[in-house]
Parts: sequence; C-alpha cells; structure tokens
Amino acid sequence: MSRFGTRTRQIRERLRASDRRYSLRQVARRIGVEPAYLSKIERGAAAPPSEATTLRLAAELGEDPDVFLAMAGKVSSDLQEIIRKRPKLFADLIRQLRDAPDEAIFTVVRVVRDGDW
Amino acid sequence: MITIVGDRLTFRFPEVHRFAESGIEFHRTLRIPDDKRTYPLPPRLGRFPLRHLDDFADRLPRESVRRGGVVMPIHQAEALWIKFSDRFGSPYPCAIKVATGKVCAISGEPWQEGLTQDPQNYVVVPGQPWLDGYCVAKGTIRQFVAMPLGDGHTVEEQLTGQGVHGGLQIAVHPMKRDVHESLRLPEPCLVLREELAPYHHEMGLAPGGRMSQEIYEDAFGLDAWDQDHGGRCFVTMANSQQWMAIAGERPPTQPPTVREYAKAGLPWFLHYDRDRKALAGGERLAGLRSVAETVRRGEAMAAREEGTERGKP
Repeated sequence: MSRFGTRTRQIRERLRASDRRYSLRQVARRIGVEPAYLSKIERGAAAPPSEATTLRLAAELGEDPDVFLAMAGKVSSDLQEIIRKRPKLFADLIRQLRDAPDEAIFTVVRVVRDGDW
Repeated sequence: MITIVGDRLTFRFPEVHRFAESGIEFHRTLRIPDDKRTYPLPPRLGRFPLRHLDDFADRLPRESVRRGGVVMPIHQAEALWIKFSDRFGSPYPCAIKVATGKVCAISGEPWQEGLTQDPQNYVVVPGQPWLDGYCVAKGTIRQFVAMPLGDGHTVEEQLTGQGVHGGLQIAVHPMKRDVHESLRLPEPCLVLREELAPYHHEMGLAPGGRMSQEIYEDAFGLDAWDQDHGGRCFVTMANSQQWMAIAGERPPTQPPTVREYAKAGLPWFLHYDRDRKALAGGERLAGLRSVAETVRRGEAMAAREEGTERGKP
C-alpha cells in the first residue's frame, strides 16, 4: 500500500467514525471521481491522482494541501510558478535552507505581529 | 511565533519543542436556526481567508492597527467554526483560549492573560477537534454568527454593555516539555467595488442557534501547560463593505446560497442576506440572547415606541 493511499484511508475512516458523509462512495462523489478509483488509490492499486483531485481530496479531508501533494509525490503548480518566475533566487534559497533546522527557516518566514489589545 | 500558512494561523514554539505547534483555521458554515431546538453539526464550506492586518494599515482605523494580528473577511450574518488542525500525525498538546470581543467563549469571563482552571478558560488539543460557538451549557453551544458592533447582538455587547473590541482573540500555550516527555506521548511524525463604503462598524460575533457539542475538560491539569511560552493573535473581522474599503476587492468567498441551505435541509431566512444587500457552559453565557431573540426584542421595543408615539396627542 502506498503512503498516500494509507494516509488517505486512515483520515477518511477516522472522519467516517463520527460522520457517515465520509464513506468512500460519498467522498468520491464530492471530489468528482468514481468510488472504485478512490478505493484503488487508497489500496495503493492506483497511483495518486492529479494535482487538482489531490487538492480536492485534501480540502475534503481537512488536510494540508502541500503536505498531501508531497505525499502524492507532487509540488503544487503555484509553488512551481513562483520558482519559475525567479528561478535562480528561489533555487539558491531552497538549497541554502535544505539542511537548516526548522527554527532557522522560521526566521525568514513572515510573522504575525501581536499588538496592544 | 505565529505565521499564516494557507489561511491557517500556525502557532509554533520551537524554543519548547521541535514539534510544539498548533494550527487554527476559521471555517465557513451554514447558520442553524435560532429556535429552541438543538441541531447537529452543519456542513463545512471551506476556510475563511486570513491576511496580515499590517498589509492594510493605511486603510484601517488606528485602533485596529494598534491591535496587530490578522484580518479576515466575513459576510455579515455568516456563521463560522474553528478547527484545531494538526499538521503532524500526532500533534503536540496545546491549551488554546478563544474569545470574541475579549469575552471567553468557553467560560464567559472577561479576557485575561494566562490560563485558569476554575472556570476552565481554554480547550485542549488534541482532544477538542473543533469549536462551533459559545459553550452555554454542558454539551450545548450557541453558534458563532458575525454581526456588526453597535446593534447589541454580540456577546461582548450583551455581557459588558459595550462594543469596544469586537473580533476574535486566540492565545495558545504549549505543554511543558518535561511533562510531554514524562507522559511518553507518541512522537509527532512529519508526513511530510461599487462606490467604496466608508469604514464604520467593526464586526463581532454573536450567539446563534443551539448545537450539540462537547467542550472537554482538561485531563492534564493546569500545571501541564507552559505559561512562560505562548502566542496570541487578534483576528479583526471585516464584512464585505469593509473588505472592499480596505482591500479594494470583493471578499474572496461568497456567502452561502439559499440552495446550499436547502441542500443541507436547513431553513434560510431573509436576514441571513443582509450583507449581500448592503464544559458546563459559562454561567455568563447561558443567559445570552440569540441573534433571533435580539432581533425580535428590538422589533418589539420599536413597536412599543411606535405605539407610544402614536398615543401622543
């Protein structure tokens, strides 16, 4: 079984335990695929779906879209576009941060300012 | 540190633990009726967008800029629920406070820094997957519904008599590292415009219909939480007119349609569309009037005043 399929099934089954709308059939219908296809994905019998379907599945299951895409072996097209626009800058940045600890990476991330309230 | 990642507020405490993190999302949903019945959870309609408030500082009142935080477009009379999300398979335990208009949504007490256990003024995640409203009784909440400050609907106005703060307030404290280690909790594993309207009324949250939902007691105890480390965020809310004024564009989301209500088997009322046109529950929260009740009360008072006027010679 693929990690993507296993994780998808785990999350869907966990949600189904408290909400019947998360049956294989209903989730498949909401993301616009056949139940048999979703079943194959969950069992690892089919490769992870397209980026659009993976994003619909992530939204349906309340999961992080980037993490879900990464599990499916993909990088979101908006991130690819960001890199394509300034390839040298972002390629250098990503390579330099490759081995940096999370704390160091967070220092280059924009932080929400807390004020006086 | 607090960041916005994909319309999610992410609180991280790397100084406490590499995995000390908690995500908070604000989700759109349908309003459940303001009647005496208790309803199950309504459907989810996707996340509300979040933006750095500082990006619109030149178009916001000085008071809003002073508070910092984020700004969220929300249509008037729209309902929201809060999802405590886990980016990791097994999230690091955190205590999370939620307030509206600086009134705690769990205990009904005025906002204060830090955590209290009696009454408990926070929820514990994981364990509490979501919060749909004000905890008004054991197993019952009243739905969060966006209303303008100044009309008397919001919890802040009902409990304090003033509409000063509005918005939503969040504070997060991670579990103490040594407590986390002693509990041997599973190590998290990374899975890898028209004419612009003037800016006037701020938005707040008011209690809507009743819904079944448990707010769980803290099983770890107050000492488990690292109150030396924490993060907090003021979420300013802007209705569609306000969003147009500050962002220069229509809100990215649309209010739920009559069809979506019908599909969910929920009734739709005309006042839902105003924006398109233009634990044991906290004792203080138990006596709150719902939006429907405050509207009815306002209409009754207006009718009474009208009657008085007519009675004048």
